[in-house]
Formats: sequence, C-alpha cells, structure tokens
Amino acid sequence: MEVTTRLTWNEERSLQKLLGNVSLTLLYKSTVHGCSTEDADQRCTDQGSILIMIYLSDAIFGVFMLGNYPKLNNSGKPNSSFCFSLTEKNNIIETSFLKVNFVPKISGKEPVIFSLDSDTFSIVPDKSTHNIQFNLKEKLRVANSSRATYLECEIFRVEGIMVDPSYIPRIMRVTPHRNKLLSELRAYKPHADMVSKIRILLLGPVGSGKSSFFNSVKSIFQGHVTRQAIVGSDSTSITEQYRTYSVKDGKYGTFLPFVLCDSMGLDETEGEGLCMDDIPHILRGHVPDRYQFNPHKPITPKHPNFITSPSLKDRIHCVAYVLDINSINNLSSKMVAKLKQVHKEVLNCGLAHVALLTKVSNCNEVLQDSFLNMNTSMTSQSQIMNVHSMLDIPISNILMVKNYASREELDSLQDILILSALRQMLRVADNFLEDLPLEEIGNLSPFCSS
Amino acid sequence: MAVTTNLTWWQKKILQNHFGEKRLSLLYKASVHTFSRHHLLGRCSNQGPTITVIYGDNCVTGVYVQESYQEQEEISSVIIFALKETKILEYKIRSYDSLLFGSQFMSRNDDFCINLHNQKLSIPSDVRKKLRLPQDHISIQECEVFRCEDLLDERNIKKIIELRNCLLSDLKAYKPYGDLIQEIRILLLGPTGAGKSSFFNSVKSIYQGYVTHQALVGTDTAGISQKYRTYSIREKKDGNALPFILCDSMGLGENEGGLCMNDIVNILKGHIPDRYENNSLKPITSNHPNYIDSPLLKDRIHCVAFVFDANSIEHLSEEMVAKIKRTRREVIKCGVMHIALLTHVDTMNLITKGDLIDIYRCMPVKIKLNQVNRKLGFALSDILVVSNYTSEWSLDPVKDVLILSALRQMLWTADDFLEDLPLQ
Ligand SMILES: Nc1nc2c(ncn2[C@@H]2O[C@H](COP(=O)(O)OP(=O)(O)OP(=O)(O)O)[C@@H](O)[C@H]2O)c(=O)[nH]1
Ligand SMILES: Nc1nc2c(ncn2[C@@H]2O[C@H](COP(=O)(O)OP(=O)(O)OP(=O)(O)O)[C@@H](O)[C@H]2O)c(=O)[nH]1
Ligand SMILES: [Mg+2]
Ligand SMILES: [Mg+2]
Repeated sequence: MEVTTRLTWNEERSLQKLLGNVSLTLLYKSTVHGCSTEDADQRCTDQGSILIMIYLSDAIFGVFMLGNYPKLNNSGKPNSSFCFSLTEKNNIIETSFLKVNFVPKISGKEPVIFSLDSDTFSIVPDKSTHNIQFNLKEKLRVANSSRATYLECEIFRVEGIMVDPSYIPRIMRVTPHRNKLLSELRAYKPHADMVSKIRILLLGPVGSGKSSFFNSVKSIFQGHVTRQAIVGSDSTSITEQYRTYSVKDGKYGTFLPFVLCDSMGLDETEGEGLCMDDIPHILRGHVPDRYQFNPHKPITPKHPNFITSPSLKDRIHCVAYVLDINSINNLSSKMVAKLKQVHKEVLNCGLAHVALLTKVSNCNEVLQDSFLNMNTSMTSQSQIMNVHSMLDIPISNILMVKNYASREELDSLQDILILSALRQMLRVADNFLEDLPLEEIGNLSPFCSS
Repeated sequence: MAVTTNLTWWQKKILQNHFGEKRLSLLYKASVHTFSRHHLLGRCSNQGPTITVIYGDNCVTGVYVQESYQEQEEISSVIIFALKETKILEYKIRSYDSLLFGSQFMSRNDDFCINLHNQKLSIPSDVRKKLRLPQDHISIQECEVFRCEDLLDERNIKKIIELRNCLLSDLKAYKPYGDLIQEIRILLLGPTGAGKSSFFNSVKSIYQGYVTHQALVGTDTAGISQKYRTYSIREKKDGNALPFILCDSMGLGENEGGLCMNDIVNILKGHIPDRYENNSLKPITSNHPNYIDSPLLKDRIHCVAFVFDANSIEHLSEEMVAKIKRTRREVIKCGVMHIALLTHVDTMNLITKGDLIDIYRCMPVKIKLNQVNRKLGFALSDILVVSNYTSEWSLDPVKDVLILSALRQMLWTADDFLEDLPLQ
C-alpha cells in the first residue's frame, strides 16, 4: 500500500497556512504501518515538531505539538500544543482551533497514544478509537454523533517553524488581530468629521514601493491580490501621473475613509523625477487626479484642471515618506538633501507625516508577539535610527511593511503590518486635524460642509 | 537538532529527476536518529520505494530501492548511484541476495554493504570503478533515507483536473468590469520567436479539445508572423464566443526590424485592423483604407502581455532590452496595463513535467523571475510562466492549468485597466 496522505490538496494547503507556511512530511500512517503505540513511536520521536491527524468519517481533527513528539512512557513533553479541526463548507475549508493546556502522555501499557488532561481527549490506537469530551467537541465542531472509531491516524513532521513558546499564541492570534484591524479601519471617522476622507500622500525615491503600497492596501480590502497601479522598475519613475486612489471595501462595497495619493518618484538627478516645485501644490490640494507630471516644470494655475481654491478635503492630511528599507543606509547625499527639502515644505504646511519602510524581508521579526508594538530589535536597527535622525520622525511613526510584490496569496501577518501602518497614518492625520487653527479651517474651506 | 537534509536544492533535484519525477520525504537522518540499522529500519520499513543517501568525506553516494525496506531485508534489486556535480552515475544490481545493511559481523568484502554501526561503507571494486568513487571503503559521515513518491500521483492529478475545470468555468463566466465592453483584447507583444503565436495556438487548442496550429509558428530571425491578427475563440461545445480576443503581432526585432513603435501605439489605440500587414519601415497612416479612424473602447487593447522565451532572457541584447522598456513606457502612457509571460519553461534546465504543477516554487523558475525583474524591470507579481503546446498531439491538464491561469490573470489585469478608466 502506498504511503500517501488522506488529506486532499486543499486541506493540506489550509493546514500549511494555518501553521504559517510550513511544510509537512508524512512519517506514519496507521493503516500501513500498524496501529500500536510503538509503531507510531519508533517513527515519530526525535523528528522535531509533529502534527497528528485523526480522520473520522465526517470530520478531521488534529493535534500540533511544538518541539517534539513525547517519548513513550516518559515525561518528556512538547513545548506547547493545540488541537484543531478541519471542516469543509461549500468548498471552503474552515479551521477552528483552540489551545488546550495539556500534558500529552504516551503510554505503552494502557494502549493510549496520548491524552489531554486525562479525560478531555484520548486516542486508543490499538482499537482505533478516540474519545473527546463533549464541550471540546463543540469547540472543534465535531458532530456529537461521530463514531468513536476513526478511519486513520497520520503523523507528520512539521518543518519551517520557530521552536519558540510564543509560536502557538502568535499563530492563533494573527487572524483575529488582522480582522480587528480591518474593522477598526472600516469604522474609522476623521476627527470631528472635518473631512470625510483622509488624504495620504505617498512620497519617496523612484522604485521605493509607493504604488505597490496602494496595491497592497487595495488587495487586502478586495480579498485577493490586485494591482491597479502599474509597478515595475526602470531608470526613471514608472509612475508619471498623479493619482488619487479611493479604495472600496470589497468589490461592491462602500468607499473607505481614506484616499491614497500616488506620486512620481523622487530622483537624485536634477531634471528627473518629481519636480520639487510640484510638491507644495500637491500638499495644498491644487493638483488634480491624473495630472501628468513634468520633471522639468511644475504645474501652473493655467493648467485646465488646476484646483484653484482647494478646501480642507482636497488638501493632503498626512505625508508618508516611502523608503526601501534596504537602501536607507546607502541613500546618496543628493537624495537625502532632497528628502530634507521636501520635509521642510511638509513642516511648513504643518502636515502630519510618517515614514513607511518597504521591502522588509521577514514579517515575523517586525512586531512583538502581541502585534501591538514593534519589536525593539527592529526599532533599534540602523535603518530606523537613520530615518529618525534624517527627518526627525518619532520612532513610533516609522512603519515597516512588506508589500504584495510577487505572486503570493494574501497573508494575515503581512496584512497586519500593512493595516497597522495605515492605522498609524490615520491616527497622525487625526492629530493634524485636531490641531488645525480654527481660522485656517475657515480660510481654507468656505464651502466645506460637515 | 533539526531533521533536514544535507543535500542542496540542486542535488535533491537531480536525484528527483533521475529516478523519475519523485518527491523525496526525509524519514531518517543518522546523526539525529543514531547510526544504527535497527533505528533506520524502524523508521523506514514499509514506506515503499526509498533512496538512501550516504555522505562520505568527499563523495555522495547511495542506493535506490524499489521495494519497501523490511526487517528481513531481502531485497531483489537495487540501484547503486554516485551523485556527481551535475549528474548521477548508476550501477544496477539485478538480484541482490545479500545484506544491504550489514552488521559488524556479517559484512563480506565483495559486497556493497552499509555498516551503520561502524560508519563504514564497503564497495565492490567494479562498482567503485563504474561510479568513479575514490575508495573501496568510505567512512560514513551521514546517512539519510527518503521515501520516494510520484509527483504526479493520483491526488495531484485529481487536484489539477479540478483546478482546470474551475479555471474553464471561471473564464467562461467572466464578464469585463462594469460591463463596459463584451470582450477583452489582449495584445501579445515580444521579440521574434518568443512564442506569441504559440500561446494563441495553445489557448485555442484547449478550447478545441485537441492541439491545433491555426497560427503559423516557427523559427526565423526575420519573424514568422508578419500580419497583425485578432483571434476570437469559440467554445467547441456550445459555439459561444469566449469573452476575450487574443491579438497576435509581428515580433520585435533587433535594430529597425520587426514591429515599429508607431504601429504599436496604433494597435494599442485600436486603429489597426485585423490582418493588417505590418511594415517595419513604414508605419500605418490614417490614409490606409482599413485604418480605424475613431476606435471605441472595445477596439482598444485592454491588456498587453510581453512574451519572452524564458531561455532567451540572458541573451537579450541591450538594444532589445531598451526597446522593450521604451515599449512599456508607451503602453503605460496609453494607460494600458501589462504583464510579462515567459514561455518555454518546459525546456529550462532541470525542469520536468512534474514541476509544472507548482512551477512558481521551483528554484530555477524563481531565479529566472528575479532575472527578468532585474534585467527588464517587470515587477515579480506581473510575471507569469507557461509551457505552450508545440509538438504534442493531445492536451495535458498540467499545461492547461498554467495556460488558463495566465489567461485569467490577463483578464484580471484588463479589469484593473477598466476600473482605472477616467469616468467619462
Ligand atoms: N520584495 C519587495 N518588493 C517590493 C516591495 N514593494 C515594492 N516592491 C517592488 O519594487 C519595485 C518598485 O515598486 P513600485 O511600487 O513600482 O515603486 P514606486 O515607488 O511606485 O516607483 P516609481 O513609481 O517608479 O517611483 C517593483 O518591482 C515592486 O514589485 C516590497 O515591500 N517588497
Ligand atoms: N518547447 C517549447 N517551445 C515553444 C514554446 N512556445 C513556442 N515554442 C516554439 O518556439 C518557436 C517560436 O514560436 P512562435 O509562436 O512562432 O513565436 P512568435 O513569437 O509568434 O514568433 P514571430 O511570429 O516570429 O514573432 C516555435 O518553434 C515554437 O514551436 C514553449 O512554451 N515550449
Ligand atoms: Mg509608482
Ligand atoms: Mg508569431
């Protein structure tokens, strides 16, 4: 008989995703390798983290053990473990999982492969039966009528994870945290309803990932990777038009309370890239959507679509300096000078600002286990210090993301970075609005309603 | 200690290919699971075909065993191999009646014998010569056992067919964004011989149910396709036209040769009619009898696919690279979205049919995508790969999935274009 898993391709994929892009190697299959505790034990000890799958006629559930498979008749226990179930509804595989604080026991005498909290969950391999406590069954969505005997037990080695006690809490927290951020952003309303949408301007060197950031944000709200903004690399900026992008919540949803404004890249060579004199016009809201930039001359009031008297809602409320994290320490002095000059203008207008560092290579390292703050090992990096001293931006406003830049699926952790960055931009924009002198609001927007 | 193989990606790939498109699952690693026959068999018996890899001081050798390892160890045939830089030398032994894993007492001098306990491998001298191994006795630094599974096993084939059917119904049900137009026009652009016409033929073949060669293909430095052609495709079953039109163009040539920039812009804007004969030196003018004077949105190009032969990327001349970048600028200027399509992946070094299942994870392909990204500036997310139908008679669901996924991606890209259009 062939040693291949019972899992379907889709089930395997969703397991790999659940555990954080891991790979699985089948080590033991009860119908081929025998049902006894020893049969499983000899193949599965000393293999690192282990996944045990139990197949019932109407459900699949599993136990993940971080670190190692417990040794027979031995107190050796994994660092941490949890159990979960896989259910399929309309071709979509749902996983529900919960951590159980248990001490797995593998005992040779009583033929129990392992048990959780003595009676919550146990497997008797010799008889191919299992026993799950009622409320655990509910949580795992295993039908109560499920028979005690299972069809098969398979054990996999799990590769590609950090063996660290925080690993399990982290992967269990990631999706809920992402969803929480999503709903926070959906519900966000600019301070005192002074405007209906916050305008965020993406500014930065050629190829730093400005357009990709918009695409990434849009992808998250669309539910799949999309790319409305053209991205790529060339000696000069790919983006040559000023674009103000609204984002819809889902394909047919309503517009979200922010607008991302994508600009041409800054170039260290004079006469290339975004024209410095265009920047004040953009900040003050004079430049229309789809304006074709000219590196040699700025927009003038004669331009047919020039916005002559912009109101508060047309202005930029927050500027994000987009920088490739890998290039920060090698920025040319000309580029640094240009960035400082732009920053002066931004400060002149009193605008909120953040730095957005793109092309982070390992999303796992950026945030603390709670996802609430950045890791200090990250924030103390030379790149961050460099941006901090170059532009005087508080460290908490130096944000890090990995854009959707290759043919990958959406990833919850990547989403968390992008959404957290966006949330921080909205927060600083709120402070800006709150801080606006009243006369300025009046001056700027004589017709501004709400 | 982690249970991961000492083989490099390339070494593992060469082994996989050599023994017939296998996936290798590591079951036993001596340095972690102890150098002992007992422990090896405990983990590796009853696992089906296996490969045992032995690492010596300055060589990697091993055995492929078709039958499952059993405690009794009677194995009727084994293949002994040595892993060289880029290839594998092998020595087949038909009836192998002695012990593969000798204990310290039982090994005979003239047998191929793996003595794990003493960490010694003895090799008969004829085998040693054939495999060009350094010595008759090799001290074993590490030993790993892998289970071999077919890459194209039942489960994967089932999945591929499911995926193919899913793609087919997606494409059939596809409606351009906002119902602005009926059909998406996809322009295939690229150097001569890139596989533009072959891509159309491949798509057509899938919907026809057998491989067809409606568009002329071949290799000629002057380019095979001389006419601009816009092909719509009907589904064979119900005769309905599919919601896309593939526009095959003359190849881009070196210097002044091939499709000229002026004509490209005219194609993008929808001025050039089907069957127009392009002339590298004389772009179309509005005086041409079939010139489309005021093209509508439906006549315009909605997505451009830049087509390249994957194996040609290293050899593209600087001129060609510059030409492609200039063309892309024009495409962006016209507000049209683009993707890059790499053909000929099937002929890339080390790539086998089984790899096409999960091609984007394949190391040589990843390297290739990075190369395209660096040399031509296409974003990694915009590069797709396919293997066209060229010499075969019948369809292959694995190829279909790649071709149809690329097509679906092009339609999504066109949707992005339509969504991005200014409101008027
Ligand atoms: N690995 C990685 N690549 C990225 C990331 N963000 C962007 N890229 C890539 O970097 C290149 C440039 O990205 P764009 O989004 O076009 O950059 P831009 O700032 O809009 O550039 P211009 O419009 O030319 O000024 C593209 O190939 C992207 O795929 C990221 O976070 N990680
Ligand atoms: N192995 C392999 N061969 C291919 C593939 N695609 C195209 N070919 C071969 O490459 C050659 C050129 O293909 P064409 O389709 O004529 O290329 P083209 O881009 O239309 O070329 P022009 O019309 O001359 O510009 C032909 O011999 C095809 O059979 C592929 O994916 N794999
Ligand atoms: Mg851009
Ligand atoms: Mg052709």
